[in-house]
Amino acid sequence: MIFSEIYGSYFKAVSAILSKAADGALTEKELTRTVLENAFGESLITIPARLTDGSWPLLTPDFGTPLKHKPRMPLTTLEKQWLKALLLDPRIRLFAPSGEGLEDVEPLFTPDQFVYFDRYTDGDDYSDPLYIEHFRSILRALREKRKLLVCFHGHRGNRRSCVCIPYKLEYSSKDDKFRLITAFRNKPVTVNLSRIDSVQILDPWEENEYSPPREREEALVMELIDSRNALERAMLHFSDLEKETERIGEGRYRITLHYLRGDETEILIRILSFGPVLKVLEPESMVSQIRERLARQMALTAEE
Amino acid sequence: MAYSELIKSFEKIRDYMREFYIYGFKSREDYTKKSARSYDDERRRIESWLGGYMAFRRSSEGKNVFISVDNRSVTFNPLHSAWKAKSFTDKDIVLHFCILDILSDGTARGVTQISDGVAAYLSHTETPFEIDESTVRKKLKEYSELGILRGEKAGRSLLYRLADSRVDLSSWEDAAAYYSEEAPLGVIGSYLLDRQEEAPEHFRYKHHYLLHTLDTQVLYDALCAMKEKRCVDIVTFSIRKDAEREHRVYPLRFYISTQTGREYLLAYHYKFRKPMFFRLDTVRSIQAGPVETRHEKYEGFAVKFDENLWGVSTGGDYSLDHVELTIRVGDSESYILDRLEREKRHGRIEPIDDHTYKFTADVYDAGELLMWARSFIGRVVRFESDNSFAVTRFYDDLGRMAEMYGGEEA
Repeated sequence: MIFSEIYGSYFKAVSAILSKAADGALTEKELTRTVLENAFGESLITIPARLTDGSWPLLTPDFGTPLKHKPRMPLTTLEKQWLKALLLDPRIRLFAPSGEGLEDVEPLFTPDQFVYFDRYTDGDDYSDPLYIEHFRSILRALREKRKLLVCFHGHRGNRRSCVCIPYKLEYSSKDDKFRLITAFRNKPVTVNLSRIDSVQILDPWEENEYSPPREREEALVMELIDSRNALERAMLHFSDLEKETERIGEGRYRITLHYLRGDETEILIRILSFGPVLKVLEPESMVSQIRERLARQMALTAEE
Repeated sequence: MAYSELIKSFEKIRDYMREFYIYGFKSREDYTKKSARSYDDERRRIESWLGGYMAFRRSSEGKNVFISVDNRSVTFNPLHSAWKAKSFTDKDIVLHFCILDILSDGTARGVTQISDGVAAYLSHTETPFEIDESTVRKKLKEYSELGILRGEKAGRSLLYRLADSRVDLSSWEDAAAYYSEEAPLGVIGSYLLDRQEEAPEHFRYKHHYLLHTLDTQVLYDALCAMKEKRCVDIVTFSIRKDAEREHRVYPLRFYISTQTGREYLLAYHYKFRKPMFFRLDTVRSIQAGPVETRHEKYEGFAVKFDENLWGVSTGGDYSLDHVELTIRVGDSESYILDRLEREKRHGRIEPIDDHTYKFTADVYDAGELLMWARSFIGRVVRFESDNSFAVTRFYDDLGRMAEMYGGEEA
């Protein structure tokens, strides 16, 4: 059963409340705070009232609990089966979790049941020991808030190295690649993990050194003509980006897309692939690039 | 019934969340054809679950409510929250905590002993809260099925103890965080993370699609049937036709798009006697049927069928279209050739001359290659196919685009 209250936010909030009550650390204020941290916006109306009006008699009037221990729930079979399935994924080598306790369950699924049909085929090699070592070093640095000395080669083969604070590990399912998100001299830097030659973990960083770079965002405005089911296709295709959509007429929509500047070419290609159902209106630089590509294309077509 | 932010059935909320997330321009009137009260309740619930991810805009058509997420900046899928809003009774929650506490020392106990223990826990309250033994028995059985408890025979009675929990969750923390976003049924990873004090926030995702979590139940039901090699009865819903349809099929594989987030079930259709795709977001329910003895034969179909699939379209008649896409690659533009190599799903690439390369494939539907072919606009020397409809559309679209962006100037 996937949809069950035992996984729900209410049970999670009550579990946290009872833990504090078992410690003798529950107060009215703490009760409120715990609900806000663990449940939904309107849960504050329900959970404290239910716990104190006798509906859920799990708290005593002095904010203690009749329970003798802090709440603890063993893993469900479903959770174990899901973890067991992960052990079959090639990327699990990056994490090396313990398979102990999963011997008695079947995996929930196997990799051959899923076909990622439009994934690019030059993804990272998750079996490469050096790649695994680099991944684990970066993850450790993220966990322990340490700096890194990273040596890597750019796409033209030029070698670079930098001492940096790692901010995130970014994964793209389409590219099947991990990237290190960091900064160098206050500028955002993205390094494909497959281009890293060595990683050395350095000292912890100081709080005043931590300032994740703001990657420059751009906005693009386009008009969509809803033919060939274009509306639904485009809405899904661009749903990985922050967007606003406005109906401007019968079957016509204005869409504003927000994207990172570094992704401009990719966004342009994605828009072109929709053909004449999408027309970019702004920025002018993007419109010019499309015009230039179309002009080149029409010249090529005319040659034939 | 009084409003609650919790829900009994997930199915009802699925459509609303999808509409709020995908479209975002619809006004209250667009939703209230069936029931204004239902819309108001569902919107209020989703607002409560998603908090800051709900946005509002005033337009000439009224107030638009939508889910606004910059997927690249989120570490965890906010839509997972919906799965954590299952309603329950007062007895459910009280029994949950009491039973687990009574059994927490690892000792096996019988139903009567556990029931007495629960009664003792609740004796402090002045408000009557009666739980009979049969309710406790049902809950113990339910928790055994979930794997939380283990039932064991002791003579004629059945005793229960907590299930073994030897899994070291701390060793799974980072993996659970990553796979909660990237593995099928990722919401289970989110459940696991909820057990931890703090979930690690080391990852972020590009090309990250969130909506598929709403189809988790359908995916799970199909997987359960597949494990037992069972055929299934699926009910699909077509928004365009506003109608439901039933199909008996043998489920084979799931096809996932990393470029739209769409998920499909490939299944052998008994009535039409051919493999067919079903978009999971159109599937209302999946019911397991009898075990299929000829499963190996159908699984063989799936392997063979995949050899000529570009995406998930089988074309009109399952015959093959021959496609040739010839591309011009300039000096120092080897990255274009790299693109061809990594983005092609089938077929082969051959050089024509130093600057020209031809991609050739045989696929069920040449029309499916159009989006990819258009992504090379500016470099396409020729797009050819025996599917004349696809070729005409490609060149007509080029003409329309040139006109759209400035006619002759382009």
